[in-house]
Amino acid sequence: MKGTRRFLSRNLLISLALLLALCALTVPAFADDGSGRKRFQESECLSCHAQPELQITLPSGEVLPLTIVPERLAGSVHERIGISCDSCHPDISGYPHPPLEYQTRRELSRALYLTCRTCHVTNYENSLDSIHAEFAAAGHMEAPVCTDCHGAHYTQYPNQPRALISDTCGQCHTEIFDIYKNSIHGSALIEENNPDVPVCTDCHGVHNIQDPRTALFRIESPELCAGCHADPALMAKYGYDSDVYNLYSISWHGVDVEVYKANWPTIWHESAVCTDCHGVHNILPASNPASSVSPQNLLATCRKCHPDAGPNWTGAWTGHNEISLERTPLVYYTNVFYVYFVPVVLILAGVYVLLRIIRATVDRVRRNLP
Amino acid sequence: MSANETTLATARSGRVRTERTFVRFNLVQRWEHALFLLTFTVLLLTGLPQKYRTATWSQYILATPERLETIRQIHHVAAVLLIMLALYHVGRAVVRLFQRRLSGEMLPVTQDLRDGFKMLRWLLFIDREKPSFGKFSFEQKFTYWFFIFGTAIMILSGLLIWFPVLFTRVLPGGIIPAAKLAHSAEAIAAAIFVIMWHSYHVHIERLNLSIFTGRLSEKEMREYHAREYERLIGESDSPPDGEPE
Repeated sequence: MKGTRRFLSRNLLISLALLLALCALTVPAFADDGSGRKRFQESECLSCHAQPELQITLPSGEVLPLTIVPERLAGSVHERIGISCDSCHPDISGYPHPPLEYQTRRELSRALYLTCRTCHVTNYENSLDSIHAEFAAAGHMEAPVCTDCHGAHYTQYPNQPRALISDTCGQCHTEIFDIYKNSIHGSALIEENNPDVPVCTDCHGVHNIQDPRTALFRIESPELCAGCHADPALMAKYGYDSDVYNLYSISWHGVDVEVYKANWPTIWHESAVCTDCHGVHNILPASNPASSVSPQNLLATCRKCHPDAGPNWTGAWTGHNEISLERTPLVYYTNVFYVYFVPVVLILAGVYVLLRIIRATVDRVRRNLP
Repeated sequence: MSANETTLATARSGRVRTERTFVRFNLVQRWEHALFLLTFTVLLLTGLPQKYRTATWSQYILATPERLETIRQIHHVAAVLLIMLALYHVGRAVVRLFQRRLSGEMLPVTQDLRDGFKMLRWLLFIDREKPSFGKFSFEQKFTYWFFIFGTAIMILSGLLIWFPVLFTRVLPGGIIPAAKLAHSAEAIAAAIFVIMWHSYHVHIERLNLSIFTGRLSEKEMREYHAREYERLIGESDSPPDGEPE
């Protein structure tokens, strides 16, 4: 068996070498991949496409630039692993090229990006489940495809540096990006290149991005925040309390949300989730006066849901804090009453009833004795 | 308290036996108890699933958001009934206090402490004789006052968490989470108390239905309320005094 395989592979190598030699001799401008199709070599493509201001006009009147900058191409992730022009442009096998069938530039990108699927099957399929694909299906051709985020020819790793991700989303979601930039998460990312703060994709997902305005996304959103904010090691690094989520989930709002999440996740529910009070893209620490949960703004934030609340109302919020004498004395003393006093009364009452049962039983036995 | 003559025909002998019964509770008190029993049960049954919302058994009951809403409405209706009952009970006592007709027989007195101490000696087999009691034993007074305070806590905390925005216009905000805690904990305390203490005294020790019938037999009076029995018999054989408080 082993011998046969070695024999086969040796034969294969020899025939390959022969084939290559033949190619080199006969058609030096083209390579042959063995499928009988002629392959352009990149240098051949660039002999035309490196010319500046090479372009054509599409039937829509749009100008389609055709210039490729060789230096930038050489730096792309695909180029570095030897993927060249014809991998993504398989229909072009010589000059003159077949005529372009596309009316608009958008039509062209939406057709050509499909070649990404050849290699990136999972990511492509995930993208079909995304809100972007949903929008495209509804006729919004501007909804992004692979190349809109990753680029076509000069593809780079999308997260190097990490801030590149939010930049990419920000190309279309400009307003949200501007808000995010000034949030605690965004500013730490952009100004400090912080490795821990969430970028867009950490909360929204990458290729199968879902509509964040659904009941399901809302009810599951506290878990998203908890992914980092309930992590003791990560929170300790920044001096934050990692108990916030646990305490939230036993609070009035939190229990409500837990029940809806467990039973009716697709039914819209108003009970406050993290983002209702802290904001979404504009999250700031409570110590920042501009924060929606700073002492100055807290009442206004409560009033979004409790419009008639008076100034004492914020005191009803036990926050993400354990019961303590300093912060919540009323709750503290009530807790003491029910944790110490009432159980003692009930235990004494129980002992008393037990003694009565014993005495009654003994008396009954004695009465029945001869 | 009035003594009352009832004739009972004993079927076996055919003889006529006369048994005296004593009025213990008047009609108002019997209705008050029945309404309290009803509202207490409804409130507990509709409150527990809400307290234990995250538990699986609760989610069978609160299967849909509409069901949860219905349960809450039933809880609120029963709560309003209980509040009316409590206002009536307290209001009646206050009126009678001003009329100088409040008997005060439910008020704890030092005799109750002495009775309790004697009871403890009997329970620990130190005394051979069980102490005798007046119309309401210290146990029964304890039951009454436990429910008076418990109901007050439940009504006040319940209203606070039902109308939190309204109350915090005047009261500090911290009272809302305190009320939520109290409402939740007091409910359990009351439930344990009813099952353990009250049901022992009226079902296990003996079946005492006087709160429904309004009467106690002469035998029961002698055995459980000897001091009251002797007082009544001592005063007259059938004292025609006013209705009991």
